[in-house]
Order: sequence, then C-alpha cells, then structure tokens
Amino acid sequence: MSGSGVDTLNPFLAFFNGALDIFGSIYPTLNSLDENGKPGPYLAESWTPSEDKLTWTFKLRDGLKWSDGKPITAEDAAWTLNLIMTDAVAGTANGSLVSNFESVTATDATTLVIKTKAPQANVIYASIPISGIPIVPKHIWEPQAKNLKDVKNDTFPVVGYGPWTLTEYKPEQYAKFDANKDFILGRPGFDHMIQQSFKSTDAAVAALRSGQLDYINGVNPTQFKALQTDKSLLTVQEVGNGWTGVEVNHNARTRTGKKIGTGHPALGDPVLRRAISLATDRKTLVAKVLDGMGVAGSGYLPPAWPQWSWKPDAGQETPFDLAQAAKILDEAGYTKGDDGVRVDPKSGRPLELRLGIHSDDTADAGISTYLKGWLETIGVKLKIQTLSMSALNSDLAKGDWDLLMDGWTTGPDPTYLLGIQTCATLPKDDGTGGNTDAFFCDKAYDELFDKQLTTFDQNERAKIVAEMQAILYKADVDQIHFYANTLDVARTDTVSGLITGQPDAQGMYPAQTAFWSYLKAAPPAAKPAAASAEEGGGGTLWIAGGVLLLALVGGGIVLKRRSGAGDRE
Amino acid sequence: MSSLTAPGPAKVKGRGVKRSDLLPYLGSKLVAALVSFFVTLVIGFVIFSLMPADPVRTLTRGRPTSEAQLAQIRVQLGLDDPVWERFLTFVGNTLKGELGYSWQFQQSVSSLVADRLGPTLLLMGTAAVLSIAFGLWLGVRSGWRHGSLFDRIASSTSLTLWSVPTFWLGMILLVTFSVGVGPIPSLLPAGGMSDPSLPQEGWTHVADVARHLVLPCLTMVLVVFAQYVTVMRTSIIDEMGSPYLLTARAKGLTDDAVRRRHAVPNALLPSVTMIFMHLGILVSGAITVEAVYSWPGLGYLTYEALKIPDLPLLQGTFIVFSASVIIMNLLADVVYRFLDPRVRAQ
Repeated sequence: MSGSGVDTLNPFLAFFNGALDIFGSIYPTLNSLDENGKPGPYLAESWTPSEDKLTWTFKLRDGLKWSDGKPITAEDAAWTLNLIMTDAVAGTANGSLVSNFESVTATDATTLVIKTKAPQANVIYASIPISGIPIVPKHIWEPQAKNLKDVKNDTFPVVGYGPWTLTEYKPEQYAKFDANKDFILGRPGFDHMIQQSFKSTDAAVAALRSGQLDYINGVNPTQFKALQTDKSLLTVQEVGNGWTGVEVNHNARTRTGKKIGTGHPALGDPVLRRAISLATDRKTLVAKVLDGMGVAGSGYLPPAWPQWSWKPDAGQETPFDLAQAAKILDEAGYTKGDDGVRVDPKSGRPLELRLGIHSDDTADAGISTYLKGWLETIGVKLKIQTLSMSALNSDLAKGDWDLLMDGWTTGPDPTYLLGIQTCATLPKDDGTGGNTDAFFCDKAYDELFDKQLTTFDQNERAKIVAEMQAILYKADVDQIHFYANTLDVARTDTVSGLITGQPDAQGMYPAQTAFWSYLKAAPPAAKPAAASAEEGGGGTLWIAGGVLLLALVGGGIVLKRRSGAGDRE
Repeated sequence: MSSLTAPGPAKVKGRGVKRSDLLPYLGSKLVAALVSFFVTLVIGFVIFSLMPADPVRTLTRGRPTSEAQLAQIRVQLGLDDPVWERFLTFVGNTLKGELGYSWQFQQSVSSLVADRLGPTLLLMGTAAVLSIAFGLWLGVRSGWRHGSLFDRIASSTSLTLWSVPTFWLGMILLVTFSVGVGPIPSLLPAGGMSDPSLPQEGWTHVADVARHLVLPCLTMVLVVFAQYVTVMRTSIIDEMGSPYLLTARAKGLTDDAVRRRHAVPNALLPSVTMIFMHLGILVSGAITVEAVYSWPGLGYLTYEALKIPDLPLLQGTFIVFSASVIIMNLLADVVYRFLDPRVRAQ
C-alpha cells in the first residue's frame, strides 16, 4: 500500500512508502515486528543491553543465506550500519536512526555489538521492516559504495533475503516477487506475488471486481461500503496507524523565543484553543467524513499501536459542547461584534482565523465545512484556504497560518512522532532547521521525552509516553479529530488467510504491518495449491500458479493518510 | 516552336528562384524556432524557480530525519546554490542534452522521460492516428451532405463527446467494459499497460498491450475526434460553392471523384494545421486518461512531479514538451510550403 509510490529501489536513498514496502519484503532486518506490532526476532535471535545500557549485543541466526547462496553474517549488518553512520549519502534516508550509535562491530559471524553514545531504549526499533534500516549484502554493495548516489539497484533478481525475492520491476507498473521457500519466519503461501500499481482507486476496484486483482488496500469508505455487499469479496477494516486533526498556531517562535509569522495572537490564549476543541464534534466527523470507518480522536498516538495508545480518563475528555465553548469565551472577554464575530480583547482583532487545507484531500474539505459551521456558532469566523502540500509546508515553516489540517501516520516506535513536539524542532532564527508542526515547546514534555528514550522497560516507557500525550491533549495545539481505519478488500475465491489476527468486538482487525498478511495469504483451501505448477517457469503458468496480485494504489489522493510507514501530510 | 520554348527557361528560372528562396525561408523559420526554444528555457527556469518549494521537507515527511540529514539532502539536491548559478548549470546542461536530476526519483530526468516516452507515444500516437482518420472521414461525409440525417447525427454525437469530461468518460467506459454492466461481461483490463503475469516479450506481449490499449485509446479518440469532424466539415462546406467543383462536375466526374480528388485536398489545409498542433502536444501525454487507466506515461509523470514539486523533473518535462511543439510547428511551416502554393508565393 502506498500513496507515494516507489521513488527508487536504492534502500539508502528511498523515502517513499512504496519503496519501503518493497524493502520490507526483500531485505532482512535485525528485528521483525511480531504480529502484535512489537519487536521480535528476525536476523537476530536475541538481544541484550549491557548493565550501563550503552552496549547492545545481538545474537544473529546461523545458517541463513542471501538469495545468491552466500551466508548472511553479522559482518553484513555491521557493514550496512557503519556505512550509514559514516557516509552522508548512505545516510540520506536512515541517518537519524543511527545518529546515537557510537560504533557497530561484528565480533564473530553471529554476534553484532552496537555501542550507543547515550542510553537508547528504541535500539530494537532501528532495524525493523519498513520503518527501520534494511540490512544489505556487503558483497553486493561494497563495490558500489563509492557511487551510492547513482546506484539504481535494478539488477534482477535483487540479491537479498526476506519472504520474497524481487525478480522484476517496472516503474509505475508492477513489481514481481518469487517466494523464499526457506524464509525463517514462515514460508509464504503463494509461490509468486505481483504488486501492481494503480493511479486511481476506482480503477483498482474495477480491476478487483473483474478478477484482474486479488487484493487491494487503502480503498475509500464509499468504495468499501459498495464492495461490502459483494459476496465474493472479503472486506476488512484495520485500526488506523495515523491521525487527522488540526494544528493550532499558538504564537510561532524560533528556538531563541523570537516571534515569527502572521498567526492570530488570540490563539496563544488556551481558552480560545479549548473553545475550538469544545466546538469540534469528533463523532460527527467520523460518521460523516469517514462514513463511520474510523475512531474519534483523543491521544496523539494512533490505535494501531495499542502499547502506546492513550485516552483521557473518564470525565476528562473534551466533550462536544457549543454552549460551554461560547460560555468560556464570554467569560474570557471575547465579546461579539456587530457581525456576530467575537473580538480578541487584547489585540482588538476580530476572531477571523485562516484554516489551511490540502487541495488534494477530500477529507480535509469535508472536515473544514463542519468546522466552519461549528466555529461560526460560537462567534469564530473561519476562512478556508486550499493549499498545495508544498505551499502548506512553506507557510507552516514560516508560521504564516492560524489553523492547518494535518495528519501523521507512524510506525511502531513513537520516538519520532513524539519528537516533533519537542522544543528542539523549533526553527532557528534564520528560519532553517525546523521540523515542528504546531510550534509546541514545553519543558516538562521535553524532560519526559528524554526519559522515555532511556527507559528500557517498555511498560514503564509506555507510562511516560502516556504522560506526554496528556500534556499535548491539554495544550490543545494538536487537536486530533480521528484515526481513519485502513480499508482492505480481497477476493475470497482466489485468496485466503490474507488477514491475520482476530477481529475485535467492533469487527476491526489489528493493523497488519510488514509482510505478515502477504506471508500468510494462500490459495483457498478448496483449490489445490498450484504452487508446484510453477516450477516449470513457463510464462503462462503464472496465471495457473495462482498469483497474488496486490494493488499498490498510488497517487490516490484520499489514500495518502493511510500510507504505511509514517507519512506526514 | 519558339513560342513554346520561350516559357521553358522562364519556368526553370522560376524554379531556381524558388529553390534559392527555400533556404532563407527554412533558415528564418529555424532561427525563430531556436529563439522560441531559448525563451522557453528562460521562462521554464523562472516559473519553476519562483514556485514555493521546500522539496526536502515534502520528500522526507514522516521519516525520522535529523537536522544534519536535511541539510545534507539540501546540498545533494543543489538547493543551496544561488539562483544564477542554478540557471547557468540548467542552460548548460540542457544544451548538452542533460535535463537535470530528479529530486524524488533520485535519477536523471532524461532517463525518466525516456522510460515514459514509449507508453505515451504509443497511446497518444494510436489515438491521434485513429481520431485524425476517423474525424476527417466523418467530417468530409458530414460536410458533403450537410443538413442530412447522417450529418446531424455525426455532428451532434461528436460535439457531445467533445464536451464530455475526459475523466468521466474514462470512468464510464471502465465500469462498462472492464467490470461489466448487466449483460455486458468483463471484457477488457481496468488498468496498466500489460498483464504482469504474462511474458513481457513476443507476440503474447504485443497482443496483451493492445488489449490494455483499447480503453484508454478509445477514451482519447472519442473526446478528440470531434475537432477534426468540425474543422473538416466546415472546410468542405466552404469549398462546396467553389467554381472549380462545378468545372469538375461539368467534366462528368462522379460525385465521389469530385469529392475525393478536388474538394478534399483543398479542404484539408486547416486540418493540417490542427494535425501538427496535435502532434506537437503528443508527447505531453494526457494526464487524465493516463491517471484513470494507470497508463505509465509522461502525463502522469508530470503530475507526480507537480505534487512535490520536483522542479528539475518539471523543468525537464517542460523542455521536452515545448521542444516537441516547436519542432512540430517548424515541420508544419515546411509542409505547408509544399502543400499550399500561396505560402510559396509569399
């Protein structure tokens, strides 16, 4: 699944989710994500931090081989990580994941030692499928390391190790894979897999219904509802791995505290921010914008990662209460002008706020219409500005906005997403170096951020992460509207076992990350597994071989939110 | 005899004059084309340099990236260079045939364009040939019997299709012929250029690509052919009152022969202009059709580039598209000179 296609097959350079999905299938990582979304074994069988938490010793499996038959050793892993640590080009995509690494060495063929500069609780997330660092075969990449920038990595089959081997790839058309029958975490159910790229979900849905595809993911709620009535299809909702909400520019400033941008000064007042939150009916947004296929938002981290997910205690959550919103504004002295728009008592400016929305996102358009109505009821006027992604980014960096529709998805390690709310992400005085969204900066939050990074007991860490989310919730600067479900559809006559895990009481499945769902997909039990027919290798046998066609729905505007490995909008 | 031979040398002389005229004519057109191309380069650079773009943040969105990493990527993409330096590099490289380095695909723009050119030319070329042939034929028939039932049906159908949004028409054809509606079974693939499960070479592949080509091509043809119908129909109607047709008829030629040998060649000139204009925009692809049918062409590549925006890629495609229009205009001028004696006489 990918809203952003494949940029390059070079794993050192690629940023787009389409490419990361492919790497997750064809390159090994030190850890996997188990079916519950927590770090598990992959190349590494076990890992132990030292007493001082500065040295991690990974014990790697013995006897695994790259697809060209050469053994996979700790040296491959050490070489890959060292290259990213020492070479700026190699660090293009994943440099930040090793920025706290002091050294990485292979002490023998199956032992990898990672020393960190400071204790780092998320080392086991640094090399996991899709959102972490793929390990590449040293013997293939070492000769090319000098011109890494120009390496396209398009010699097929690509030498790697994973559940699949990439045998053919045509940009914006398809990627073909052969199963790795000896894959250590389980043999894939199909002998071959083809991921086909579709630019529009409507065409992908048509292809699924006509039997051209066996499985598509990331359809929109309307399509999903229409497909639910088709008996030959299995429709599945997975809990979302991202949120959609509104950012509030509560006085943008630089690291030194210098004010920047043209944000409305009244947004610095927590009362106004609280009133906006009170005037947002999240349940209605889920019902109307997502057709009910999502969860109303509260905590900063999405429900796909239940270990980090947080909700305000009963009675503490912000209700939808227009009367209360109006009341607190009245009390704070925001009196209404003749036109019904309230006036900021401090600056004397009317509460006319700009709301930036993505020009290519229909959900944003839907949300903004509701918000406009609700806020006008409480005397706040909204001026909706439809912007391209780059214009939106540019405005954001300069602080030239009041409210912005935003969305983030995240992988299983919350560090990065939590990190963008720290003071360190504010821009420098010259406007560069920023990576914030709401210009949030809070000392207590920053202290907790550092603490979670050095808390090795993951349960203890979760408690700290919860405290951080409580601070964010109270600040009302990142107002989370909802977490959209991921909507997948499969043909029942050609695929079975695609979705693993049991649905919960609401009929929702856990998020399927990495390769698990493809791995377990198999031809329906009633039909003979046609895998053996494929051995002859004849082209037409591909059809007979029961090929799993997986639609990579690229460019689907609505779909971008549901992209795999963390996609900020 | 002398009276007969007299025009001879004059004729030869006349031809000689025309030949020597041809070179300055071609030269002036060529210079004009080169000037246009240079202006295009400047405009292209200015437009894409003025776009608010911080591709680094858009590219790396959601990926854990450190400040140092962002700075490094900026250097890697040449974003730190001053504008004038970027302009000089851009012009220099373009003259060398290098179109820059795509930010999002991290490879040369020329190779990206080369990859996508084939599919686009196949789709647009086939659609162009079909819509030209079908449109002109229908235009001639309609014009020759204007006011008839045939004319009314042909004109109204083509104009209706011309005004239908391409995207919508594409979706309707997709649902009808790919998913199947009512008694119509699923006949054609919904998207892509080939079925990846079939061999990607040989006759099977050719047949497979042809099958995938049907719906996108049909969509293009249905929308575009009306232009030719309209222009050709009007020209034929204009020609119909001409005395030379009366002469031809008086010679006893059949109606068919009068139409084919006399009316059509003269009525064709306005259509030639349109054909060359059409050919000029051929390589730019059709974003909507390519998007509906997931056709891996240049139109869609441009759209992808706009989203980031990937300026080198946009500049590159802009240059390729502009160059093709300029070249086709140049060719149109040359061909016109041969087709139309009035141009030669100028």
